[in-house]
Amino acid sequence: MSLDARPAHSPAAPTTARFPLVRRASPKLAGTTTPMRLSRLGAVLVAGCLLTAVVSLASGLSRQSATDEGAGRVAALTADAAELYSSLADADAMATSGYVAGGVEPSAVRARYGDDIARASERLVHAAGQLAGDDPARPLVTTVAQRLPMYTGLIETARFYNRQGLPLGQSYLGNASALMRETILPAVEQLRRQQSVLLADDYGRGGALPLAVLLLGAGALIGLLDAGVRERHRTNRVINPGLLAAAGLLVLALLWWAGAMALTDTRLATASRHGTATTALDGARAAVLQARSNESLVLVARGGGSVSDSGFTTQLNNVLGANGSGGLLATASAAAGPDGAPAIDEVRTEAERWRQAHRQLRELDDGGRYNDAVASAIGTDPAGSRAGFERLDAALGRALDAQRAALDAGSHSARDALTGLDAGPAVLALLAAAAAAWGIAVRMREYR
Amino acid sequence: MNGVQVRRPLLYLGVACALALLSPLVPALGGGFGTGSAATPDGPGAPGAAAPAAPAPACTQTRESLRPSGSPPAPGAFPPGSTLAAIAARGRLIAGVDQGKYLSGYRNPATADLQGADIDLVHQIAAALLGDPAKVQFVVLDIADRAAAIERGQVDMVVNDFTVTCARQRTVEFSTAYLDAAQRILVPVSANVHEVEDLADQRVCTSRGSTTEAVLRALPLRLNVVTLPGIPDCVVELQQGRMAAVSSDDVILAGLAAQDPRTQVVGRPLDHARYAVGMSPNAPDLVRFVNGVLERGRADGSLAASDRRWFSGSLNPVPLPPPARYRD
Repeated sequence: MSLDARPAHSPAAPTTARFPLVRRASPKLAGTTTPMRLSRLGAVLVAGCLLTAVVSLASGLSRQSATDEGAGRVAALTADAAELYSSLADADAMATSGYVAGGVEPSAVRARYGDDIARASERLVHAAGQLAGDDPARPLVTTVAQRLPMYTGLIETARFYNRQGLPLGQSYLGNASALMRETILPAVEQLRRQQSVLLADDYGRGGALPLAVLLLGAGALIGLLDAGVRERHRTNRVINPGLLAAAGLLVLALLWWAGAMALTDTRLATASRHGTATTALDGARAAVLQARSNESLVLVARGGGSVSDSGFTTQLNNVLGANGSGGLLATASAAAGPDGAPAIDEVRTEAERWRQAHRQLRELDDGGRYNDAVASAIGTDPAGSRAGFERLDAALGRALDAQRAALDAGSHSARDALTGLDAGPAVLALLAAAAAAWGIAVRMREYR
Repeated sequence: MNGVQVRRPLLYLGVACALALLSPLVPALGGGFGTGSAATPDGPGAPGAAAPAAPAPACTQTRESLRPSGSPPAPGAFPPGSTLAAIAARGRLIAGVDQGKYLSGYRNPATADLQGADIDLVHQIAAALLGDPAKVQFVVLDIADRAAAIERGQVDMVVNDFTVTCARQRTVEFSTAYLDAAQRILVPVSANVHEVEDLADQRVCTSRGSTTEAVLRALPLRLNVVTLPGIPDCVVELQQGRMAAVSSDDVILAGLAAQDPRTQVVGRPLDHARYAVGMSPNAPDLVRFVNGVLERGRADGSLAASDRRWFSGSLNPVPLPPPARYRD
């Protein structure tokens, strides 16, 4: 370069050259002697490594906090919402089916309703505890918290009138069920969707390609290699050991990132599959519970009124698919993989058996055999609709538990892959900065 | 030109910095997570909004019913091809009723059985037609759905406090009237309401598609008329303080007051109604048969006895079957 020809004129050069970092900070950076130029080169290389270290630290921390939040708060809220939904839908199915029987409802049905409400309240409190004051999920949780006591109040009034032998109880029951189906459950469903999106977002951030780190690291690395090669040519000597060490350390840092990301990516993909399966099974369970409520309501209305059996058909088609081979269960089965498929196949078998039992129930009712239809809905006949529903519900519970456990395991192992990603590569990049500074300082010392 | 090079490393780092700053703009790469859009648990459907009451018809006079043809034919001796023969072949009568109207047609929660004055009448018709009062399939209908259920053949007859109007007579053939009723209002005992005029600007509830809705809307008052699928739904709202009053026929309101002692029936009659059995205009044989059963019930006092049995506790005087009027 043309500047090489100019004479040196900085009087400070001899002293500051021994301390390149001090010199870097001094205002007199425009020197043109070789030591000055060397110190500027050193400053650039050190800055590159430091920048890489800082960005690596920030990026690692943000990824960890994203997956921590995903595996922690958001996953907990998602699970809360799913559990809340199934508890509430189950409570409503119990309340309506308890009414079909006539007289005082069976104590087992009453007990299950009570458990459902208790579990729902527990989940609600837990979910509320996870939310900051300005969390967008807060209005939804508030809606549920406000309406749930209204719902249980309506149900208790219905019970009171039923015990008096007065038909007003039925109107309270219908009112309560409508509140549940049209206000409370949609709010919970919205909460669940909101959290699923957040979860996807968190895992997306956790698993995204760390472009900033890779680009800066690569830039610093190319700079180091370029400087090293040129120094070697210029001085006709062996490659500068400091620059070589710095390049090696940077390569290690980048490899750490690449390795962690590859591992996280496959583990998150596994977690994601089980997440999809869990979501589909949650949806299937909600549909099954609503189908059960619908069956009871149609029976209570004796096939007339504003509820029709098409509600049952729609929900079961959601679960099984219109042609019997698709639906939420197919989604769940495809996502769950070979390990989870047998449990989901069992759910499909039970769902088909229940649908068959329900069809027989409808034929009985439509054929004027109302009492036989009621017996199928609430009796103990293993071929009846109630037994079919309970077997299906249990099979769904088992499949869901398995998928939820696999989801938890997957997201925790993905988080494990990020262990040390915040500090590790950053420390390596810091060491690289030190090595580069040392390498340049050694060269400069030769000019004293 | 073989001196120390600062610009190239600086250039590499600068380019890397620029790219790194731009990288957040690149759409997220790498692992993503399914957003769980698969679940679509829809509710079994909100109660479908029933069609509003038909616009005021251009008719003013209701038609009388068909005269019974001598003594009704005995069970099993119906002319082939007739509606009666078809019902007999089916082996059960399909009747559209209510299950929320205490005393008229309601579901006894203790037994899950339907009972009331309307239900008694259905059993009587089934006994005359099929020889067994129990050979009935009940279908619970929304108030607004009564005429349509006859029209689409879902039920043989509607016995559900069904008021004879000439608008309905375009699609429904009514039997002779079996009960006279008057439209009044039900209010909380604590409310200072004595007449419908006291309810100006307040919410008054009635069932959707009933004759009472049209009567309330025609009153020269600023009533806020709210309609729900059934009268019991109105009472739930009244008890929760969301309605000031419920308006319906005295027979129905008496059943509600009997369930809640903190409510009472007040005010002058706003309208008079005659309840009859609704059937298809294409089944004149069935209409004549039902009129024969009603005629016998009036003559032997069983119709009045049923009314007394159900209503004497809450209505004074007990509404009784009006005399039959026929067209030929």
